[in-house]
Amino acid sequence: MTKRDINMSKTPDFEDLQQRLNLSRRSFLKTTAAGAGIMAAGGLVELKFGKEAKAFAYEPYPRDDQLQTVVTSCAHNCGSRHMLVAHKWKDVIVRLSTDDGRYQRGGYYGKDGNEEPQLRACLRGRSYRQRLYSAERLLYPMLRVGERGEGKFKRVSWDEALDFVAKKMIHLKNTYGPTSILDQSYAGASYGVLHKSDQIEGLLGRFLGMFGARTSSWSVPSYQATTTSSRWTFGTIQDGNEDDTYAESKLMIMWGWNPAYTFHGGNTFMYLRMAKQRGCKFVIVDPQYTDSASAYDAWWIPIKPNTDAAMMAGMAHYIFSNNLQDQEFIDKFCMGMDEGTMPEWAPQSVNGKENFKDYILGKYDGQPKTPEWASKICGVPAKDIKKLADMYAKTKPAALKASWAPGRNAYGEQYSRMAAALQAMTGNIGKLGGCAEGVGKAWHAEAVAYPYDQYANIWFQSIKSDRWAHCVLNYPNIKREEIGLWPRQDNTDGQIPNIKGIFWQGSDWFNQLTNINKEIQAIKKLELVVCMDSTITPSGIWADVLLPVATHFERHDVALPWYKGHYYIHRPKVIEPMGESKTDFQIFTELAYRIGGDVFGKAYNPKANRDYFNVNDNVDEAYLREWWEGKVMHHQHVDMSWDEFKKHGVYKFKLDRPHVAFQDQVEKGIPFQTPTGKIEILSSELANIEDWTKTKYGYHIPSIPKWIEPWESLNSPKTSKWPYHLISPHPRWRTHSIFNNCAWLRETYEQEVTINAADAKRLGIKMGDIVELWNDRGKVVVPVYVTERCMPGVLVLHEGVWMDLDKNGVDRAGNPDFLTLDNPSPAGAFAYNTVLCNIRKTDLEHRPGWDKLATSRAHVFRRDD
Amino acid sequence: MATEKKDVKKIREAVKRVKRATYTPVKPDMQLGFVHNNVDCIGCRACEMACKDKNGLAPGPRFRRVQYIEGGTYPDVFAYKVNMSCNHCAEPACLPTCPTGAIFKRKKDGIVDIDSTLCIGCRRCEAACPFGAPQFDPIEKIVKKCNMCVDEIEAGRKPYCVMACMMRVLDIGPIEKIWDGSLETVAVGKADKVSRQVKNMANIELTKPSIGFVAHSKGKVK
Repeated sequence: MTKRDINMSKTPDFEDLQQRLNLSRRSFLKTTAAGAGIMAAGGLVELKFGKEAKAFAYEPYPRDDQLQTVVTSCAHNCGSRHMLVAHKWKDVIVRLSTDDGRYQRGGYYGKDGNEEPQLRACLRGRSYRQRLYSAERLLYPMLRVGERGEGKFKRVSWDEALDFVAKKMIHLKNTYGPTSILDQSYAGASYGVLHKSDQIEGLLGRFLGMFGARTSSWSVPSYQATTTSSRWTFGTIQDGNEDDTYAESKLMIMWGWNPAYTFHGGNTFMYLRMAKQRGCKFVIVDPQYTDSASAYDAWWIPIKPNTDAAMMAGMAHYIFSNNLQDQEFIDKFCMGMDEGTMPEWAPQSVNGKENFKDYILGKYDGQPKTPEWASKICGVPAKDIKKLADMYAKTKPAALKASWAPGRNAYGEQYSRMAAALQAMTGNIGKLGGCAEGVGKAWHAEAVAYPYDQYANIWFQSIKSDRWAHCVLNYPNIKREEIGLWPRQDNTDGQIPNIKGIFWQGSDWFNQLTNINKEIQAIKKLELVVCMDSTITPSGIWADVLLPVATHFERHDVALPWYKGHYYIHRPKVIEPMGESKTDFQIFTELAYRIGGDVFGKAYNPKANRDYFNVNDNVDEAYLREWWEGKVMHHQHVDMSWDEFKKHGVYKFKLDRPHVAFQDQVEKGIPFQTPTGKIEILSSELANIEDWTKTKYGYHIPSIPKWIEPWESLNSPKTSKWPYHLISPHPRWRTHSIFNNCAWLRETYEQEVTINAADAKRLGIKMGDIVELWNDRGKVVVPVYVTERCMPGVLVLHEGVWMDLDKNGVDRAGNPDFLTLDNPSPAGAFAYNTVLCNIRKTDLEHRPGWDKLATSRAHVFRRDD
Repeated sequence: MATEKKDVKKIREAVKRVKRATYTPVKPDMQLGFVHNNVDCIGCRACEMACKDKNGLAPGPRFRRVQYIEGGTYPDVFAYKVNMSCNHCAEPACLPTCPTGAIFKRKKDGIVDIDSTLCIGCRRCEAACPFGAPQFDPIEKIVKKCNMCVDEIEAGRKPYCVMACMMRVLDIGPIEKIWDGSLETVAVGKADKVSRQVKNMANIELTKPSIGFVAHSKGKVK
């Protein structure tokens, strides 16, 4: 643990304070002297209690410098990673602060700036004590005593809980085979280099794989559209720039992107402000006028949800037909953009005969994708489509940041690929101030300190993540394409998994995946549901066994940037684990010993012995030290020792040049990582697929970006019954479902549905009314926020609220996933934003949280001139 | 903390003193104040959370409040934020209303604070303040408010809210320098002007609040 001199901030800061407050030396000395106790009496001349001499009216009050300071970080699956600084008294965290510049090597209080910006935590991180010390903390292992989902548990010993799990696991594997246990771990609460929960690889995946029973879930809820798209187009998901490069853009098109809510990257929002101050123009294409739109003074282009690819096609048409494309860039780097860049094999391919330009100009289907054509679909006036296309083609460098939300749609991958085509045709790829995102993953961190070997990602079947309920309910009468079965190279290829149990590690997926009512049907058919978490969650309510997991304040780890940023933050054990909670790694190691004795136990955790369940400090330290010395120091050429890193708590890299994706490809001619080494507007993988059912996609996907009508949208005939399009973006006051139980956050934000003011007026709905939203899939109850900032016909309900069902199956909390459909896009994207529904006033009561503390939205003022 | 038993004798003495003294605002040697950029603020409320945590507040009292202001008609809309806690006014309206003399203004930096050992929770200050700064704590049954983290100021640092601001659009400094634009701070852009009064804010003549704003074009007061 890092122990700091409690006075470390004192000495150098006199100068600093003087500068910051712009005080003259003289006046500063005067005020310092006053602080020593000469002065009495605030407003009251005769007051002589000397209260002010102590200068603080809340004594006794532990000041930061009287407390122990420990640098750590937040740990959630939010899109960024910031520093938290714990100020603790004995084993209690009294308060949290964040990076103030003094912790890094060469740092001092107030140090900030482009090279080593402070990593200031967001509102969620700052509220962490509410989660850490919440009434919802799981402190002891629990076993279900009532019906599944009834929420009745009894406290049991670790012995009893782990024996129960171990016996059930062996039973499931022996009875139903190696696909019987579904891995639904996620990066929720456990993201670190050692204590890693992750959907694809992580502690649970390796544990179940080594055990020999694991069905994995391959599609990522947030961004599978762009993940698949970027792999096709660029051959990698590392299509991102570091956030400081945003400051170099002259035009920033924020397509479905709201960094004021998602805080992607360490300081993205701040660098965007810098760009604005340097004269960068901002455009926001979004059904909502978001806080990002207002903060960056953006030109707002409201667009109908799910129609983004059509608008982009209209832009491409304008660019091609006015010959504004960067033809030199296209000829040099792209494949399939136009006739001249088609590969020789194209005419012989089954699926790859078309090029993008001729598709856009209407050569194949007789329909030119003109701005006028696009306008009818997306609702954006043709003149605005042309204006934006003109701006984008003529401003250099320009960033089209195609974010994830528009991809969480039916055929979301077409939006992501269409964006990549625009980025490429304007030559904005690989250039400082341009943008190829996409996924947006930039600087590469060394992410693995846990034991990593041939068992790291063993699976016996892998399905599209939101098809598990469909699979359980219809087994074995399912076609492989319905669940997006990943191909295998052995004789088990195509076998439908027989799922009989679920493991949740760092995951609240039952609350977070689509079509919850269908999940409720499915979960009743399972024989084992294990939930490992640090608080009770809506998923945990449906579990058979609850295993209390130590939070990241209660175990030793290192934090890495999630998305953008180049730094590591040490995460020591700040306090002892609360209650009887253990780390995930301890739990899996102990389970391994119980299931397979020393052979399994030792293989799973080679540095540990059986005692690891009780004493883990030295083993965790050994893994982390090995990772730092072997990978960080050796591979990344960091000269700071592990011990020095622990003392500082943070290491910030200084990059030789701004990190821009594909810069070497464009400047030095290094091939792209695609099969052809080109930016594949025509995907060579897709072009050569004959039998789609044998692919993980299951269904046909065009080899070039195309507009495909989604199964539900404001253009669909279904609007006669379901006239509103519901989108469910990420909220600012939760990380998905994490922090929903924090009253501090809930007193400033409320789960509410956003509706356009004209729509509300027509429906007789006023701000604060309680409404119900419903469709064939379910019904939810929420208060309403009436605003001009939302497009007519669109409703916005943020994901992640903790479901709270009444006896009729109506969700009183307002979780949009009671309305979503569990029908993923062919490339795997969740169709979270492809939802039609209806809305009306209701007498049903809204239940904002599991406690009664939530208060209504405060401080939203409508300003009428 | 304020949950301890009140010293009735001490309060009585203080009341007598209040009655004796006529309140004239303290003229601080230097007045500290806040500056907030209404336009560039993304409204994330990290400052609010930092403040709640720093002051150990239960749900309910909110020393710092980021107000969301929006207007216009679809699709021609606007939005901005006005972020306020206590304005540590030159003529604080709260101070003379306090029957026990618990509220005081510091001579050296003009910070207005409440002595929690003297506060009896009568809530008069809460009613008097035109900016909603004093907040009643229903658990401790006293009024509390922002004291600009005086403990941090005395330690040579800035308040928690300022140091929490992810966008670096909230800052403190000598208020005269904030108003005349001479304070070096990234909260104010090179092209920005600082105003003392914005729309959706009480008339500053009431108390002369020590705060400056970079106003939104729709939030400017002519």
